Amino acid sequence: MDETILQIRHLSKSFGSHLVLRDIDFTVSRGDVTSIIGSSGSGKSTLLRCINLLEQPSSGEILYHGKNVTGRGFRASTYRAQVGMVFQSFNLFGNMSVLENCVVGQRKVLRRGREEATEHALAFLDKVGMAPYIHARPRQLSGGQKQRVAIARALAMDPEVLLFDEPTSALDPEMVGEVLGVMQTLAGEGTTMLVVTHEMAFARDISTRVVYMNNGLICEDGSPEEIFRSPKRQETKDFLARFRRVENP
Amino acid sequence: MTKLSKLAADVALLWDNYSGAYLNGVRNTLLLALVATAIGCLIGLICGILQTIPCSRYDPPLKRFFLGLLRILIRIYVEVFRGTPMVLQAVFIFYGLPYFTDNAMRFSSVWAAAILIVSINTGAYMAESVRGGIISIDRGQTEGAMAIGMTHVQTMTHVILPQALRNIMPQIGNNFIINVKDTSVMFIISFTEFFAFHRYITGVNNMYFPSAAIEMIGYLCMTLVASFLLRWIEKKMDGADNYELVQNDSLTLTAGTYTHPTRGTPFDESNRVRAEEGGVSHG
Repeated sequence: MDETILQIRHLSKSFGSHLVLRDIDFTVSRGDVTSIIGSSGSGKSTLLRCINLLEQPSSGEILYHGKNVTGRGFRASTYRAQVGMVFQSFNLFGNMSVLENCVVGQRKVLRRGREEATEHALAFLDKVGMAPYIHARPRQLSGGQKQRVAIARALAMDPEVLLFDEPTSALDPEMVGEVLGVMQTLAGEGTTMLVVTHEMAFARDISTRVVYMNNGLICEDGSPEEIFRSPKRQETKDFLARFRRVENP
Repeated sequence: MTKLSKLAADVALLWDNYSGAYLNGVRNTLLLALVATAIGCLIGLICGILQTIPCSRYDPPLKRFFLGLLRILIRIYVEVFRGTPMVLQAVFIFYGLPYFTDNAMRFSSVWAAAILIVSINTGAYMAESVRGGIISIDRGQTEGAMAIGMTHVQTMTHVILPQALRNIMPQIGNNFIINVKDTSVMFIISFTEFFAFHRYITGVNNMYFPSAAIEMIGYLCMTLVASFLLRWIEKKMDGADNYELVQNDSLTLTAGTYTHPTRGTPFDESNRVRAEEGGVSHG
């Protein structure tokens, strides 16, 4: 099934005179698990934040099922509810329990009833292995647990696409595995995901497509095999070589 | 020692004759401080919220103009009422109103005037406290709320304000205690709070020091009880330090009707159990 969900056209973003994204063209189809890799400052996170309209693009279009979401008169909140986001720093609501974190969006944004929302939230908390902790507050959880709750919170909104902004970068090494495990499960179930990551193993083994970004441009875009086995561009080779040096010294 | 016992005797004498007056003063002081702090907090909350409405250069010019105007007005209010003594504000407003309206308008009761003056004074301080409380909440909380589709109003009411209010609780307490003491300047518009009764009583019998002793103890009692109560409220707001783990059994009961995908993750205990039991909750 190759149904296009998101289409990004000529997207540019600048902070002051600093051009962070230059004329990005990019399409997300249903079932894609896309990893966006690249060195820090290459614009990966900004691209993701632009897609979720947390940053206003300077120019260009983002088409969601053919509708331009950056135009005036488009309710950003309605769109965001359908595009889930998982942050590097979790961003769980500190004033709510784990369960409330996963319920509040469904109640207030999707207008679901309390029972339905709770049931739905419990199902996803169960899926990420956090069901026993529903009464805990975010501050009482470890980083890996928080990130799993954050994933459940995003999933509970039944989004069409899930955006992950370096979901494991703020975690202790021993907690990276539990979060990647959840993401692997989701990928296996056909969830459409867009993942900004430094985890090359995830990009190589789990994603269906890898995008290498450099200096605000999409430098190379292809299947994991293409990018990791036979990268065409010199920049991509150099970037991957840096990782190999660490992984196989 | 004899001085102390004389003081005790004098205090007892005053208390015997004027306990009703003193207690009446305590009641008025507490009532004024409570009502004015509450209204002041409300004013501060509204000002704080209005001042933190996000405004970007992508917004329409009309919205930007009104938000800018609003910010300037609130700024003027804060600076004027924070920068002048409350005792003067009391005189200014209480006598200014009839002066400007040629006696057409005046305060019908000294209570209304006192509540108004202390409220807008507290509001000026609270406006800044609330603004500080709101901007102290991590930007990530707003982004987390926006990312699940909440509007600015929903984000504020459900995520930011509950946390900001918790953070400014000590400041609300501060203002209440300051109000308990500073309402004493309201004698200037002949509002009879605790300190006013000291002036009346000593005017009759010249027992300044014993009466001041009673006043000192009275104010200290009020503020200590207030501090204690505020600490208790803060603790309540923080919630429990620990949490209970929920057993999988009870959870399966609650979520039993949901159809799960059969796949689970290695740490997904209940999914594994369910799979072993032949998918109890899938049918």
